[in-house]
Amino acid sequence: MKISYNWLKWYIPEAPDRDKLADIFTYHICEVESVEKKEGDTIFDINILPNRSHDLLSHKGVAQELASLLNISYTDPTPKYKTPSSVATNLKIDIKTDKCRRFMGRVVRNVKVGPSPDWVVNHLESIGERSINNLVDATNIVMYNTGQPTHCFDLDKLEGGIIVRPSLKDDVLNLLPSTKNPKGVVVKDKEGVMLVCDEKKPLALAGIKGGADSGVSDNTTNIILEVGNFDPISIRKTAQALNIFTDARKRFENDLSPELAPYAMRELSTLIFEMFPDATFEDIVDVYTVKQKEKKLKFSADRISKILGLEVSVVEIGNILERYKIGYKNEGDVFEIIVPPMRLDLTCEEDMAEEIGRILGYDKVKPIIPKINFTPKVNETYIKMSAVRNELRSKGYSEVMSYAFCDKGEIEVMQSASDKKFLRTNLADGLKESLKLNKINSALLEMKEVKIFEIGSVFKKGSEETHVAYNEKDGIIEKTLDELYQAVTAGVFSSGPRKKSPDHSENTPAVTANLEKFKMWSLYPFISRDIALWVPESVVAGDVEKIIRENMGELVVHGPYLFDEFKKDGKISYAFRLIFQSYERTLTDLEVGTFFDKITNKIKEKADWQIR
Amino acid sequence: MNKEIKKGTIHPLTLLAEEAYKAFSEMGFEIATGPELETEWYNFDVLNVAKDHPARDMQDTFWIKDSKGEVLRTHSTSVTARAIEQAGKDGRLPCAFISVGKVYRNEATDATHEMQFYQVDGVMIGSIEDGVSLANLKGVLTEFYKKMLGEETEVEFRPSFFPFTEPSLEVHAKFKGRWLEMMGGGMLHPNVIKNCGLNPDKVQGFAFGGGLDRIAMIKWGIPDVRLFYQGDLRLNQF
Repeated sequence: MKISYNWLKWYIPEAPDRDKLADIFTYHICEVESVEKKEGDTIFDINILPNRSHDLLSHKGVAQELASLLNISYTDPTPKYKTPSSVATNLKIDIKTDKCRRFMGRVVRNVKVGPSPDWVVNHLESIGERSINNLVDATNIVMYNTGQPTHCFDLDKLEGGIIVRPSLKDDVLNLLPSTKNPKGVVVKDKEGVMLVCDEKKPLALAGIKGGADSGVSDNTTNIILEVGNFDPISIRKTAQALNIFTDARKRFENDLSPELAPYAMRELSTLIFEMFPDATFEDIVDVYTVKQKEKKLKFSADRISKILGLEVSVVEIGNILERYKIGYKNEGDVFEIIVPPMRLDLTCEEDMAEEIGRILGYDKVKPIIPKINFTPKVNETYIKMSAVRNELRSKGYSEVMSYAFCDKGEIEVMQSASDKKFLRTNLADGLKESLKLNKINSALLEMKEVKIFEIGSVFKKGSEETHVAYNEKDGIIEKTLDELYQAVTAGVFSSGPRKKSPDHSENTPAVTANLEKFKMWSLYPFISRDIALWVPESVVAGDVEKIIRENMGELVVHGPYLFDEFKKDGKISYAFRLIFQSYERTLTDLEVGTFFDKITNKIKEKADWQIR
Repeated sequence: MNKEIKKGTIHPLTLLAEEAYKAFSEMGFEIATGPELETEWYNFDVLNVAKDHPARDMQDTFWIKDSKGEVLRTHSTSVTARAIEQAGKDGRLPCAFISVGKVYRNEATDATHEMQFYQVDGVMIGSIEDGVSLANLKGVLTEFYKKMLGEETEVEFRPSFFPFTEPSLEVHAKFKGRWLEMMGGGMLHPNVIKNCGLNPDKVQGFAFGGGLDRIAMIKWGIPDVRLFYQGDLRLNQF
């Protein structure tokens, strides 16, 4: 939700400065997506949390929250509103669905569609909305100000009164175009979606989007103002089925209080009256079928303190409730509040703990390591995995992980963002691919033989099993974790030599914040070159390595490393391997050859060193 | 040469999972494991996720074809929920569980999003008198991130919303001078406690969960989450 700093200041002139405000949002209300400093205004894009979308998807709501939170004054503009005088009406509203809880309508005559006043255009544009015309803008201003979506119908396009009802199979409704759907969506062949209709035809998709044929146009002179309240689940299902995203949908699907409607109707009327002082306003027709009941909530200071792990006093709580203008009484440390109608999120004691915690600030909650009387048991699966993993590693096997999804199997997912819709039935297929990849890189990995394993879940009809797979040369062996664990504990899993010295860190890895930096590899192919030479026995490998290192250039990503040595007739042979690779391009043999020649030339300068 | 076999290398996520298990075991947590193919009940219903909550949509969750009410778990909170339910039946309260496991989300992959990733998930509950609190959650997570990211690491809470916790928090850790969002957490919602067969008037506790892959990426500077699942040994650098 985009919030204009100037707009907020209408209500809270003492608002803290812009930088401070961003922190206040972050630590007491919700995440700040971005702060955009514009000429003369600052726009905060804040992610109102779902449980506060009943009251905070609006400038007024945010201003009230900030005023209470910061204990600064809130300027209520309503008393200053000019209320139009009103005449009797013939408007009839009939609600024929329990998914519409309230519907307020008001006929206004003698208006003229045209451009909006500057302040309206500026307010809309400041939060990234386009000005359309004075009437449509008025409904949008009211929504971004109060959080209540509203709508204008062209009265002269209506035949008879308004009926809110579920759609019938042959209802057809062309919706207003939008940036997302420039041609407008057509609703047809849909049964049971909630429509606002007249006696003959559908006018609008209730709570989501207006119809193209009933909305205001350049010639509109008489209108009906709509302020409704609808069941959130119904709104979400319909909008989702039709793939329509509107600001109205967003607000209704998160549930709004029907008590908000009269405020919005008053504001909308005032705004239109301000635009058209000569307009005739008829009486408001208010059909309120599903009344919101008054809710009370009990909680104790003691329990709140226990939940937060922070001592909160009765006085502190009383002070918060007063700032938030929440009616309460308390006996000792037990409070009973009357939940404000817009605060549909407050339903249990824990909700109040959250309110008090976030208002005080969670920085007040100090870290305490708990001591509880609990004796942990050993987890069998974990023990088995660790034992098998350690055994394999001690035999020189390295661990890999592959994807659980593949293109064939026994269990399929209903929908996937990828083309691989089946769950793997084995680890072997993935391990084969991994083997292929790592073999190509074996020189880079300094491996004579690639030895890998994976431990993971496989999925067959009616079962999920943990398997272990490892390779023996080019063959893959796959067993269940249980099978392999039994073999390991019985000591029968030992086809090769183990690592000699037991490594004590195997079972208890040292918990030290190991902050080595990961080194990303090059995505270009590498070239491996070996250099072998005879030197007198007195020459150590390090001497040779030094010469190579000094002359090998900058493209060696790995090495030189000694991969072979042997003695014969008073001489010693060393063989080194160098891996050339660029992070920017594919190297040519010619290029690598130049560096290699430089090394060999240097070696040839030594009288008793001979390249083999 | 190479007469002695060189020990094989370990996948960085396993290394991190081991470190996490060790850190939490030292604080008295029991390791919990559970199925990746999970019921709708444990993945969503138990956790107070509303029937029409968007997280249940097919665009977000992998539902299993021809097997009604079965999903690939979208978080390992299902495991810790199962664990406290069982502990309640066995009369093992207070209790604390930690689970590191693979979870699945149906989303397009990029450098920071994967369809499969690892999550570390924990829970601690006790009687009201035991008073397992948000302060305790902060204590436990501060200790954990110090061990993961270094002694100087700080932890802070910011307001958030999850169906399964109340209050709900975002957990941020300060690493190399920057605050980073690490996980979500809070006090278990009374409905979750009820759904696990316990009485929310008598029992309270905290829960938390977040991506292990993300910790690994931050800790070691690994640039792309997809690197974890390529089967490429060049990843095993630690």
